[in-house]
Amino acid sequence: MIETTVIKRFSLSERLFHFLLMLSFLIQSATGFGRLFINSKWGEKVCYVFGGYENASLIHHFVGGIMIAGFLLHIIFLLFKINWLDLRQSLFGPDSLIPNFQDIRHLSRQIRWLFGVGDHPRFDRWTYWEKFDYWGVFWGLPLLAITGIMLIYPLWTCRFAPGWILNVAALLHRAEAILAVSYIFIVHFFIGHLRPASFPMNEAMFSGNVVLGQATEEKPAWIERLKMKGAIEKIKAQPPSQWFRVIYYVFGYSSILLGVYLLINGIIYSRYIRLH
Amino acid sequence: MNENYFRWRQRCLIVLFILMLAELIVVTSTVFSQEEVASAIRRYKGYESSTGYYEEFEVKPNRIRPFVGVSEVKKSVFSYSPAASEVRVRTRLSDSHYGIRFYENLSCQYCHPAEAMDIHTTRANLSCRQCHGAEPIASIEHYYSSLNPIRKHAYVCSKCHEGASASFASYIVHEPAPGSPEARKTFSELYYAYWFMMFLLTVTLAFFIPHSFLVGLRELIKQIGKWRNQ
Repeated sequence: MIETTVIKRFSLSERLFHFLLMLSFLIQSATGFGRLFINSKWGEKVCYVFGGYENASLIHHFVGGIMIAGFLLHIIFLLFKINWLDLRQSLFGPDSLIPNFQDIRHLSRQIRWLFGVGDHPRFDRWTYWEKFDYWGVFWGLPLLAITGIMLIYPLWTCRFAPGWILNVAALLHRAEAILAVSYIFIVHFFIGHLRPASFPMNEAMFSGNVVLGQATEEKPAWIERLKMKGAIEKIKAQPPSQWFRVIYYVFGYSSILLGVYLLINGIIYSRYIRLH
Repeated sequence: MNENYFRWRQRCLIVLFILMLAELIVVTSTVFSQEEVASAIRRYKGYESSTGYYEEFEVKPNRIRPFVGVSEVKKSVFSYSPAASEVRVRTRLSDSHYGIRFYENLSCQYCHPAEAMDIHTTRANLSCRQCHGAEPIASIEHYYSSLNPIRKHAYVCSKCHEGASASFASYIVHEPAPGSPEARKTFSELYYAYWFMMFLLTVTLAFFIPHSFLVGLRELIKQIGKWRNQ
């Protein structure tokens, strides 16, 4: 019998933040790669889609601004989401995304399971790689934002720092962008959607819901905790409508195809990459 | 007699001083790297009648150079120059290419291939001469060179970057390859930033790519087991 009960995993605001980040990341990747590979025919083609090198730069700067605004908004959102009356539980409880010792234990258990010498770890609400995905943005985005602003406003930057800092900023910006693109388009896409347990798509971040049976298998500690608290009934949700599923499948797979296209061409034309 | 001699000597010294001053002002100032132009095209139109082929000799991306092939680009700087042994330090000459044989037939990137690959040339489509000036190209540390750090920001950078300061001009246009031993010696900040990012990239991907692959593989084995049981 196919399990049809679905429970809420992500709120609407969380999904909107993810959608905004996803959309801006894809635009930044495409315009950024177009600029990075502008010396190649492929880079010229990518920039052509955006109306040429200058326009690609303009879009890159504009969307970068939106990304920064979204990031700041997310921090404000977090400040509102924290339960200040029960700070300890809010920050270090099982529903928190802050890494803890349990993650290290899960990692070690997972490695043993991967090599067939142990049981699968009993994950709670967040796995250690999901936490890494989340906090990766917190180191990557500020680095890209600060170096990006320095490069957009070089004269202003040089009022406070020597000009050679722009050489370093350009290198950091590109290297971090390559790291982010490689991680998202290889690791995040695979773990999120293409591995057997998630294939054809992990719909949680789009619909906000997850099938109870699947959640019990992947995150047994979380479901057990919810059952003990009697909270399952409270977070039961309706499955998404078919038309909505079609929309996010088309959007999700378009994003994956775009990511894979950029990644493969990035590898093919990697000889054109100059980090400085 | 003595008085006349001293007067004559004094006059000679004054004339010599004036001549030296003239030489200093007039002769050295004709080093053309001091010219102020914003584009190579304007330069040629302003200073000589050109066929336009000069543009093809300039260092620009995706351009065909009709007369000069660059298939055998020399690796070492001035390796073919008979004057290389005589002129070892070229950074302070009024003509930095003094004594190089067949210089007239060469393009900049023939000897400076790496310098022709920086952001200013590949992205902004600048030609070498837009910053370095026309012949004779003065060495960047020649006192009257427009690229001398004391005036570079005003004479060169501000042509495009309006309001460029001396601090801004310390941006290194022709920087060394960031991971190279040369960078460690001459630009250590860039060198360590590069290796830090390489370390971060390698560690992140070296852990997560095999991790993801193994997770996928284990789940596939589990799935196959389930199908078999069904």
